[in-house]
Amino acid sequence: MIYRKQGVVARWENGTLIRVTECGIAIEEGEYFECRPDVGRGFSPPPRGRRAEATPYVDFAVQSLRDLSFERLIITHGFAEHECEERTWHDETDRIHLSLVCGRLRALVDSTTRRLDDIFTIADALQRCEQTERARPTTLRLAPNVTAALLPHLVGRVPSNVRLLQTAGGVDGYGNDVVEAAGPWPNFYRPTYRVRPLRMPLNLRLECDDTHVDDDAPVAIALLAPIADLALRVLVVDRQRVFPAAVTVTHIRAVSNERIWYPYGGGSFGASLML
Amino acid sequence: MTRFAHAVREELWSRGRLIESRLSHGEAFEDEQGIVAADTRDDALVAAAERELDRLRAVMPEGFTVRLVAESSTEGTTGTITVRTDTLSLVTDPAHIREDVDLLLRGAGASPAVPPAPRRHVPMLWLNGSASILLHELLGHPLEHDRESPPLPPWLHVDIPLSMRRATFRDVPLLRMQHVRATQTDAPFELPDERVEITLIDSGMYDPLSDTILLRVAASSIGAFTIHERRTSIAFIGARGEPLRYPGVICSREGQELVVGSSAPVMLTELR
Repeated sequence: MIYRKQGVVARWENGTLIRVTECGIAIEEGEYFECRPDVGRGFSPPPRGRRAEATPYVDFAVQSLRDLSFERLIITHGFAEHECEERTWHDETDRIHLSLVCGRLRALVDSTTRRLDDIFTIADALQRCEQTERARPTTLRLAPNVTAALLPHLVGRVPSNVRLLQTAGGVDGYGNDVVEAAGPWPNFYRPTYRVRPLRMPLNLRLECDDTHVDDDAPVAIALLAPIADLALRVLVVDRQRVFPAAVTVTHIRAVSNERIWYPYGGGSFGASLML
Repeated sequence: MTRFAHAVREELWSRGRLIESRLSHGEAFEDEQGIVAADTRDDALVAAAERELDRLRAVMPEGFTVRLVAESSTEGTTGTITVRTDTLSLVTDPAHIREDVDLLLRGAGASPAVPPAPRRHVPMLWLNGSASILLHELLGHPLEHDRESPPLPPWLHVDIPLSMRRATFRDVPLLRMQHVRATQTDAPFELPDERVEITLIDSGMYDPLSDTILLRVAASSIGAFTIHERRTSIAFIGARGEPLRYPGVICSREGQELVVGSSAPVMLTELR
């Protein structure tokens, strides 16, 4: 199995802009995997001395976010062309990885340049947040971005009243159609030509017979720590009050069917969710 | 304008079978506008990386999962060998592979001598240079973040030079540790009967926001355990002997993995 990829990416990383052009080949023969640059086949490398240029997406996001109080801000935008066994396809990468800080609290955000409003909402709430953790409200809504982060952790331990599904659409790391599936997962994730594709669910979504979400309920709008098992530390907004709280997901009461895509795992469609 | 170029050859072997082979190369030009990088090939660097890989392959131990990484760059040539058992791993080089694999086997075979003790009251004895990993997290990463060092005893000297380093041509250089080298002068201590003897560390982390360190101990007299403490909680009681080289440390920050040479004498600490 031979796979080829060529691409160009602009990345703004904590104040430095880097533009990378690459072309590579990956070969799989049974359990053996080999990869190397495929120089000469891909885009022309930029001439020496050429200035790094941001794409308009990166430039817009940098200008929008650079005044926030962040510990880490990485904005990536790129294009890639792929070829695998006669199949060809292309895709676009659009990622924001951000750690906002206030006092001893850190909000973790993985999103896209299309969702900047989420980031401003989280940044504003974080500035108003109490530093001491409070008990979680009995009824709690998870915002779509928090649900999206949770979904990859639900694989293999989904509460019985909800369904975790791979959403059909697009192609996987071998150029095969991503199909509707509930596991075993038929598709493969290949984030770079330098690693062997990994069988895993792509573009996850969660379904529940109950889709009613109480928009007035206290809402967890961001993660304050990476998810461990099904334990979340979240930033909760309850009317005028904002505080950190720990939540363990054991039961899900309802999931909205209005979904937004976020770059968690192999892609994740977040939706408002009631605990 | 500065130029960085490198070539990396990497192989993954599983009990004598080659299962992964990688070549990577490229160059990056940096000026005040940013960095422009491409996977351009420098034949001399590729040839040097291939020669280094041959050298690593020649000393590769059998019966383990082994990753060989040979890099030749505008900053020099390096070779590292990561050896894994089912539960433990360490990073070494051709000059130290025999002694390090012995250490790995001893660690893998060690079973807890005593049940886990109430941790806060039991001193920790850092063997095999493992105290350098404690110092890596306690002093090194905070230094990278421009944080002050907590007070150290006068007998302890720690050398941690920083420089701008990057893992690949695709990465933004960061201020990183070059090495951690601890020495002691006249710091005798009485060996406590009750103690935890630490031989291998799995991983560590420093959190600048909470000013805490986290160390996952992979092999010790009470088996694997985790230390998660504020930096000011670590008290240095004493040390003995010359610095011991800890098997190579691969330090990851912002997704960039770099080797940081590490050595420290046998050291005794306790938690405040």
